[in-house]
Amino acid sequence: MTSLISIRGLRKTYRMGDENVHALAGVDLDFAAGEFVAILGPSGSGKSTLMHILGFMDTPSEGSIVFEGEEVARLGADRRAWYRSNRVGFVFQSFNLLPRLTVLENVALPLLYRERPEAEAAAAAARVALERVGMSHRLDHRPGQLSGGERQRVAIARAIVGSPAIIFADEPTGNLDVRNVDLVLDLLGSLIQEGITVVLVTHDLSVAERARRVITMRAGLVQEDRQR
Amino acid sequence: MNFLERLRPAVVNGLRELRANKIRSLLSMSGIILGVASLVAMVTVVQGMVGNFRQFVDAMGGIEKITVDKQPLPKEQEHLAELSEGITMRDVDRLRRTVPLVRNISPEARVGFEKLAFDGRETSTYVNGVTADYLPVAKRWVDPGQGRFISDLDVLNLNDVIVLGSAVVPDLFPANVDPVGQVVKVRGRRFTVIGILNNIEGSGMQIRSASSRGSGGSWRWRNSGVFIPVSTALTKFNGNDRLSGLGLRIADPDQLRDAVEQTERTLLAAHKGLRDFSITTNEQTLEDFRKTEVAFKLSLGGVAGISLFVGGIGIMNVMLASINERIREIGVRKAVGARGSDLFLQFLAEAAVVSVVGGFLGLLVSTGIVGVMNYILTQALPTGAVATLDWAIMAQGLAFSVVIGLIAGVYPALRAARLDPIEALRHE
Repeated sequence: MTSLISIRGLRKTYRMGDENVHALAGVDLDFAAGEFVAILGPSGSGKSTLMHILGFMDTPSEGSIVFEGEEVARLGADRRAWYRSNRVGFVFQSFNLLPRLTVLENVALPLLYRERPEAEAAAAAARVALERVGMSHRLDHRPGQLSGGERQRVAIARAIVGSPAIIFADEPTGNLDVRNVDLVLDLLGSLIQEGITVVLVTHDLSVAERARRVITMRAGLVQEDRQR
Repeated sequence: MNFLERLRPAVVNGLRELRANKIRSLLSMSGIILGVASLVAMVTVVQGMVGNFRQFVDAMGGIEKITVDKQPLPKEQEHLAELSEGITMRDVDRLRRTVPLVRNISPEARVGFEKLAFDGRETSTYVNGVTADYLPVAKRWVDPGQGRFISDLDVLNLNDVIVLGSAVVPDLFPANVDPVGQVVKVRGRRFTVIGILNNIEGSGMQIRSASSRGSGGSWRWRNSGVFIPVSTALTKFNGNDRLSGLGLRIADPDQLRDAVEQTERTLLAAHKGLRDFSITTNEQTLEDFRKTEVAFKLSLGGVAGISLFVGGIGIMNVMLASINERIREIGVRKAVGARGSDLFLQFLAEAAVVSVVGGFLGLLVSTGIVGVMNYILTQALPTGAVATLDWAIMAQGLAFSVVIGLIAGVYPALRAARLDPIEALRHE
């Protein structure tokens, strides 16, 4: 498998009062295209920071990130925004759907922030994505009218609508009941068939076990990286 | 990405937020609504008043008219009262000779409020003695087919002829009688009607028709009154040579001051230094009015300015509150690819939408205010001032509110644009 992301010596240091906090203390990792990876670790282990940096929401203090062959560790805000709308998708624990928008509008949202937004093309792509997650029957509903599992499926549709290379799912099952946990994890797992790399960020071992590769983090470092 | 392509969804979003928070939006708009309403109403009403006043001054003889009136001697000259001859026809000759800036001089001798009679019908009105120069000085005329005005010959011969104001005619003559050539009685003397003065109606809707009867016609007084030769008035009614005043028309309004000064000097010299006359011009009235106008504009403009300022603060306040409530939304938008500039535009557009809608509501309110002001002004002013809303003023008012909205929106929009997406997503 070719390497989608390759990170070397990644560090992130925060200033907390007089102290420097090392959220990431030198991380080397490679992610292949179409991989299903879980990043496991307790809170404060640096897994969220890693996800934010890899998801172009934050920049590292040190180190290099090569994404699809390009060095992206020092990109400016607008360029990172481009990556977020074109190459990356996010799924959050609390869904983060916009309550005033319909399901269809929520899913189409990432496409509207692209260079040449076309409302109709975006809506068409959103319909396809909703079809993929089995939510075609709820296009005009508001998020508030959906169950938790349904909302998370809509959120996944939003993550895949822009044909990203990688999706980060941050505790995607944290707010779901058991039945929906399976459904959502199966759905996420199935995305790798389309060549999408799926990264599950969780502190829950049972969730992490669903991935083929589990990276365990502790104190800003990779403690274990095992394939199953 | 094209700016317009980005603007459309931003505006749609703004309208959506407006709909979702109707009461809050209305409250935040109230300042803008009042500001625009008062601004537009103020400008409209002041413009209406100015326009009316211009017409009023014009009807009073315009800026080129100088009025000389007899007046009692001032205190320090009271003991010289016996020396005072008053204003006479001799003054008219002197002024003609010494004040070349004056083109026409109209001597006027008021006879008084007299009863006119014709064939058993009666009416009472003011009788004035004038000369042919009354017409150019008062900017009046006799319409074709309505006879003629008093001539120099009438004055020379002390003719018993009379020219009627148009409002007098229907009171004195049946509709089927042509007044010209008829004989009317004034204090028992028989006067032949030689003409009827033009009817002053005022132009358009600004001044109500003078022909309107009853209490309505505020310009009726300009159309009532009758005129006889000044010599006839002095010798046959007043029994002395004292005029009640002079109307002077100058050739060039720019030389008004000089003309006034020359007139004053000539009269003072002729009257042996006695101040038994006063000189007024419409310029003073106009000047007074200009001051009132400025005062009006300043005070009302201040009110409008303050309410627009407060309106701006209202919008900023609500925008900040709205952003605080929507921090998570901002985080989500950024996470899915929105740039800072996208969010800046979105929130600026929201502020603009609020101010545009507020501005439109303000225009609506302003039409109401102008209506009420019109009602009050028509009751209060002799000219019956009527202000009309015009599109240019309304467009300006609206533009004003949009500018205020945009200025007020910049800071909140910047805040939204600068939010850190990670922090924003963590926000509860």
